[in-house]
Amino acid sequence: MSATLERYPAHLHPGYRTQARALRVAAVAPVAEDVVHVTLVDPAGVPLTPYEPGAHLVLTVGTDAAGEKQRNAYSLTGDGVVPRTYEISVLLQRPEDGGAGGSARVHALAVGDLVEVEGPRSSFAPRHDQRHTLLVAAGIGVTPVLSHARAVARWGGSAEILYSYRPGRGAHLEELRALAEQPGITLHEVVGREASAALLAERLADQPLGTHAYACGPPSFLEAYEAAAERACWPASRVHLERFAAPELDPGVLFSAVLADGTSLEVPPGTSLLEALLAAGRPVPNLCRQGVCGECVVPVRSGEVEHRDLVLSDAEREAGDVLLSCVSRAACEGGVIEVEV
Amino acid sequence: MTLAPENPLAPETPAAFPVRGHTARLPWPFPDDLEAFRYSVNVEPARLVRQTAAGSWGGTIVDLGGEEYGAIMADRRRILDADPHRVRLMPGMGPACWDLLVYYLRDLAISYPHVMELSEHGDVFHWRNHALGTDQRFVVGDASTLPYDPMTFLGREIPDDLLLVKERDGHLCFDAGLVTFAAAWSVSFDVGMTMTEIHNPVPRLTREGVTSRAEQFLRRLPADQVYRRVNWTLSASGSRKLDVSLEELPEWGTDIPALVRDEDWARLQLRIEVEHFIRLPMTGAVTFNIRTHMTSLEEIRQIPAWRRQLAQVVLELPEDLAAYKGFLDYREPAMAWLTAPDRTDPDRTASEKELA
Repeated sequence: MSATLERYPAHLHPGYRTQARALRVAAVAPVAEDVVHVTLVDPAGVPLTPYEPGAHLVLTVGTDAAGEKQRNAYSLTGDGVVPRTYEISVLLQRPEDGGAGGSARVHALAVGDLVEVEGPRSSFAPRHDQRHTLLVAAGIGVTPVLSHARAVARWGGSAEILYSYRPGRGAHLEELRALAEQPGITLHEVVGREASAALLAERLADQPLGTHAYACGPPSFLEAYEAAAERACWPASRVHLERFAAPELDPGVLFSAVLADGTSLEVPPGTSLLEALLAAGRPVPNLCRQGVCGECVVPVRSGEVEHRDLVLSDAEREAGDVLLSCVSRAACEGGVIEVEV
Repeated sequence: MTLAPENPLAPETPAAFPVRGHTARLPWPFPDDLEAFRYSVNVEPARLVRQTAAGSWGGTIVDLGGEEYGAIMADRRRILDADPHRVRLMPGMGPACWDLLVYYLRDLAISYPHVMELSEHGDVFHWRNHALGTDQRFVVGDASTLPYDPMTFLGREIPDDLLLVKERDGHLCFDAGLVTFAAAWSVSFDVGMTMTEIHNPVPRLTREGVTSRAEQFLRRLPADQVYRRVNWTLSASGSRKLDVSLEELPEWGTDIPALVRDEDWARLQLRIEVEHFIRLPMTGAVTFNIRTHMTSLEEIRQIPAWRRQLAQVVLELPEDLAAYKGFLDYREPAMAWLTAPDRTDPDRTASEKELA
């Protein structure tokens, strides 16, 4: 069995592509103040790759000053079952609020435009054997929650949805209200931080055994969710969340990285291992650069690591054989990490 | 690939070369230079066509089996009709079974365009399999539109045993399966177990880290790659019978003792399993589908490279592995028969051969 005669692509059917490719904008519609809903289709009309509820699509939204592709991840809002469209809802992030211009470019899209996408990628999937689900959304965090809710409706599960929004800014409210007409699905709408916290505490305290909870929203909201779940004695393995952005990190310590070929790289405070690797001409796939997406994972041969990402599980950290190069560093000043790059 | 039968006028006597049909399509499990077998995470990209000493294999994810397709599927359907417990689904695995069905029907229609057709209009699919006479319209996700659950529907169309693994609490669990051709195991016993639990009985596998490496491999299986692995043993039956499951133990349990007593080594079967690993995108479930092939020592004997290699590998195998694979007690006389030089006359009976 030595000779290789011919090599085929992994998937014969076009509906399983996840590599970079162009999709066409089929519709753009406002769904709340500063939020547009963009519908993408395959230019040739072939089915799109199915995806898990809570998955995201990576859009190339432009190029930065250095000429590098600027890519943003947006949650898909459908149930993911043999889709013909990919739909995302994007909140405009103004530069004065720290927006880098990506969302403005999505807002500028018009019907007929071609957009480069990668994925879908799954990072916020439901537990397949959940007996019930508590879905928690705040603001534009509603997008993956809508995807989860639609999947529950499609497959006949039960869900309780808690949606916290500011008046006039409740994107996809109508869709959620329509889903809540179905048996087994209820929707709680809440306005204001204190009322949301109180309702969250109440609903977390009143879920059947076997429930998994999923939340998406701004960092302060997710902190409140995690704390409330802990107070209600939820096991951490049943408390799921998706972050838009990671908390600010300190610049970290100076350390060095030894590469597979023996090269040693100095990584000063304020520079990430990923940046050092890229500067040394070592291509490492990466996306969010905030320790959220998991793209820049690097195998570790030795060295004590301070994991600062939000991706690896406790077990994976303990195993210590990988790190996320965009945020994680040596555990102590002057430490050495051997990486397989 | 075609389902047309081989030329019926072909000579019945074993041709020297090239070999036809069954043997030519056989996924010979050993690399050319392999002399000693140990378990490893021996995965390779799927659809890679491999040349063997007798032909080639591997261009498709599903090997329908050529002219044997009808007989294999009749066997599969008979077993499923008689024993519904060969299909086991853990809670919440319904969507993954639809994911599996959609992936395979799409792949089959492209791999076998003259035999199989699939048309799609949104969620409404129309599947036709002209070889088996299947003509079925269904709505993806709506179980009431299929005569069986989606995994069973697929299992009645293709020869592969269908297994799905899914992550639960940090472990990969075998959470759905349709298995009619198990090699001395039972889907009812194993379903719901973790990979580690299932593979604990295999000597060396877990202790030497193979199980955890295999589990890591499956957990990190990328969405844009399909992989496969070949496994082998000597079958627990001296016939082409694929169903040597624990459920059927009374039917095959005495086969090998009788074969050994009669020294009827020609009937001994090399059992080859080709596993395919696909990450299904709609649910993240990973397939561990197994297609089982059988070939007798009589057939292997006719391919000099195979007969030498199999004897070498089987005789070299350490005792614990040979005992696990079930041939520790008889491997020496069986391999002596396989490699004896004067085995050219196909008309002689087994006992005459032993007297010779």
